[in-house]
Amino acid sequence: MEADLQAFVAFYLTGKKQPDQLHEIGDLNLRPSLFSGYRDLTRLRYDFPLVLVEYPDEGRFVETLSGLIDGILNKVAIGPNGERIRKNVLNLEESIRVRINNGATGLFSKLWDQAAPALAKQDKQMADSLSRARANLKIDGEVVDCTEELTFRLFGHAWSLTQKRRAEKFNENIDRLILKLSDIIQADFINSDAGKSAENLKHSFGSGPLDSFNFEAMSNILKKVSSKKKLAKSRRHRILGLISTLRSQRFFPTESSKVGTATAPYSFAYTTCSGALKAYRDRLPKAIELSRTMAIAELEIKGEYSESRHDALFESFGENGLDAEELAVFPDYLVRLNATTLSGPEQSTLTEILSADLPIKILVQTDDVIEESLIGNNHLAFALRSKQLATMAIGMNGVFVLQSPASYLYQLRQQILRGLDYAGTALFSVYSGASANTASVPPYLVGAAALESRVFPAFSFDPSAGRDWASRFSLAFNTQVENDWPVREIVYQDERYQTVAQATPFTLIDFVTLDTRYCKHFARVPRACWGDALTPVAQTLASEGRGQIETVPYLTMVDSDNLLHRVIVDEKLIREARRCRVMWNSLQELGGIHNSHAEKLLAREKRAWEDTMRSTVVETPAKAAPAVVSSAAVSVVEQEAERSSDEAYIETPRCSTCNECIQLNKKMFAYDGNKQAYIADITAGSFAQLVEAAENCQVSIIHPGKPRDPNEPGLDELLKRAEAFM
Amino acid sequence: MTCSSTSTDCLLELYEEKLELEDYQSGVPRWCTGCGDNAILTAIQRLCRDENLRPEKTVFVSGIGCSSRFPHYMKTYGFHGIHGRALPVAEGVRLARPDLTVFVNTGDGDCCSIGAAHWIHAIRYNMNLTVFLHDNQIYGLTKKQASPTSPIGTKSNTTPRGSYLEALNPLTVTLGIANASFVAQAVDWIPESLYDIVKAAHHHKGLSFVRILQRCPEWLPKLHESDMQEPDSVQLLHHENSLQISPSLARIYKNQLRHDPLDMNRAREIASSTDVVPVGILYQNRDIPCYEDIRKLDILRTNETVRKGFEAELDKYAV
Repeated sequence: MEADLQAFVAFYLTGKKQPDQLHEIGDLNLRPSLFSGYRDLTRLRYDFPLVLVEYPDEGRFVETLSGLIDGILNKVAIGPNGERIRKNVLNLEESIRVRINNGATGLFSKLWDQAAPALAKQDKQMADSLSRARANLKIDGEVVDCTEELTFRLFGHAWSLTQKRRAEKFNENIDRLILKLSDIIQADFINSDAGKSAENLKHSFGSGPLDSFNFEAMSNILKKVSSKKKLAKSRRHRILGLISTLRSQRFFPTESSKVGTATAPYSFAYTTCSGALKAYRDRLPKAIELSRTMAIAELEIKGEYSESRHDALFESFGENGLDAEELAVFPDYLVRLNATTLSGPEQSTLTEILSADLPIKILVQTDDVIEESLIGNNHLAFALRSKQLATMAIGMNGVFVLQSPASYLYQLRQQILRGLDYAGTALFSVYSGASANTASVPPYLVGAAALESRVFPAFSFDPSAGRDWASRFSLAFNTQVENDWPVREIVYQDERYQTVAQATPFTLIDFVTLDTRYCKHFARVPRACWGDALTPVAQTLASEGRGQIETVPYLTMVDSDNLLHRVIVDEKLIREARRCRVMWNSLQELGGIHNSHAEKLLAREKRAWEDTMRSTVVETPAKAAPAVVSSAAVSVVEQEAERSSDEAYIETPRCSTCNECIQLNKKMFAYDGNKQAYIADITAGSFAQLVEAAENCQVSIIHPGKPRDPNEPGLDELLKRAEAFM
Repeated sequence: MTCSSTSTDCLLELYEEKLELEDYQSGVPRWCTGCGDNAILTAIQRLCRDENLRPEKTVFVSGIGCSSRFPHYMKTYGFHGIHGRALPVAEGVRLARPDLTVFVNTGDGDCCSIGAAHWIHAIRYNMNLTVFLHDNQIYGLTKKQASPTSPIGTKSNTTPRGSYLEALNPLTVTLGIANASFVAQAVDWIPESLYDIVKAAHHHKGLSFVRILQRCPEWLPKLHESDMQEPDSVQLLHHENSLQISPSLARIYKNQLRHDPLDMNRAREIASSTDVVPVGILYQNRDIPCYEDIRKLDILRTNETVRKGFEAELDKYAV
């Protein structure tokens, strides 16, 4: 036993393994024990794959495959064949999942049509179920799984929809302005001699009995009429200039640019910050010009433009750039970056963008969150590049920041839209989970494990949500946010085949086990050596400092047959886990969880309150503690107190589901979600039925109230019978 | 050691199907209108919904009688067994499939008469089962014969001059058996307390025995009439370590008794009371071990081991 401990301690401190006592884990294909249930993700219904909805309703730009299938099932899996249809369609869903896992891509409808025939061949009922369900497939779009490409595609999709929405609004406004300005020019022409010429009058007559009308005579009469003041030359010139500028804008696609008769619109999607920034700078004068044009056009349309007053003002328009409101009508730039290829100059441009509050949305994808730090010595960098970027951006106060692993993006879809709509710079930091070092585990699980282990926590910082941190910063997306580590229960069968449940925290160390680069920090302990020398990792992490080493921390892992193994961990990883926890604790404080300032203040106030209580305490007879009153119960009591005896009602919580009233009149009486009766429609029956129901009720909880129809036959007798239930 | 399962809310945002009350309903109950079995069915369906019990992981076992039609009306697994044998069948299910949640629905005839021996030993074994004794104090399915719990003097088809024997009290009997770990009494006409008791029974690890006094409007319509009309005839049991009474219930049922569910002697006294109907948990001891925990099976019951066992037995008769 002592020899075992010595070998374990030697590994713990130095990382050296004695081959007869400790084994390498590299070839054992071990996983954290919490992963044992997730071998084949295609058999599970969860958030992925996603469908990027083509023509979404408000905000619903992405749906889950399972969610869409459930939507279809809600419509078709009803009636006597409901269960069969449900089973068959769920079979199809699994088949689609398998295809996607094998690399199939395309529209949801296309994948459905590819998978369905093979299943429909099996039997007629399956074919019937699938065809019924297919007829209800109304929402379509590209299907994407949680892979390396997900983040760029998802954000690209959401961003393009945002731009499309903005383009529609913008073009509508531009078209309106052009139309109104053109009307001014047109009106001027009509009032001119040329406009009143016989030839023009003939043209404007349209197709009619041209020969029976004397346009020359008409022209002569019109020319004699004193026309209004002609459009001033300068104004005419200005308006034509405005129309020309509006027509030639390239910020949003126009009908002409779509068919190729006008210059192509600008592109706003970039793969480098420098490219986006350069484009922004180059286009800024054009944007200012367009913005100025729109402002002048509005004044011209209202006839309020005064050259003496406005010329000078508009001369200097945009000298200080455009403000957020003016910029909000233009497209936002989208920059999609990968943290691994982020060069030094690119990083500094990125910082420049973040600090300048430009309308640029930056997406940074990280594929490796535990890269070795530049200082070496197995010091982990903890997604230094991307994570520091996110925390740095928060410090700038005006940047919208969202951090999340790709696996959690669906849950954050509303936050993504908020970020894209945000009037200013937004930074999205996403961990893909797809790395060659974690290739044996699906990216979804790697991403989820990063979130779970606090290595890559999810948070959002929305400056538009308010002025204080509580409104702006949210950490609520993480599991068990109050704890240092999320604690889960693993259930296993011991060597005596008995079920054992064990609470197990999921820490950075569990996450590191997924990465093949760090195998050397782990050593498998043979079953014969399990004993008091081993202690769970969580226990070691909870104790601060080293002290005398009497036990060595171990993790529980499973192999491909789901057999449990104990794996000890070296001290370096324990140190890294503690560092990770400190970072998490800092985030918790920002999120108002275990906030040290608040806790100190609370302690101070508590002391002050205790002192006051001690000094003012007087002897009072002990009172019985008031009963705990649930709000639901109070509301029931209040409701009943408020009721008048004229009103018919049922004391629903006391209903014993005996079916008496329901059988009497199914429309008047109905069951609620707890299968307890209430009056669903008082007009659906007579007072006589109410009285009869009250008499039949086994628990006397129906109160018939007063009759609604004073002409109901036999009312006197009914009222007498009802008295017992008032 | 084998890792058999993990919590499903970890890591994956699984699509958990949220079931409604109707999802547990199978068929239209054939019980008479006004029958207390309807109230019990509702309480148990509410439990299944609120605890999100998976239908494929839940089984209801019954014997014979009105109450034993229960599995037919639950859209879960069910076993409508033979008279008096609900408990042994349920124990078998429990041993073979420890992953299932097993409920037993039995009647006063089924449990306390022909199945009495099984009842006593099931209590003693204390396997993790939830047992509901639907006690309407009459054989209803066979149209009114006196059952062991029929009050003395009950006129029935088998006792036209009134029954001669004092009724058997299922509570005192159960409390007298070694290893009894959860004994409660509910009445079908107070749905809130019925639900609370059913829920507490489900949460108890070990055999939870719940006697539910139920009305039989067809054959004994007057039996509980006075108890229902006079709230003080029902005594609600409460304790900080047991059930608490909600204010709305306390407003109606003012006869309340604070009772520590670990006090066996007091539990027996309460169970014996004849002046009031005690409702609540009479006895609960969480420290009594379950039979399946005491017995350490030295082999895993896989299909392979069962097949080998059969073959070994058959080989004994090989020529």
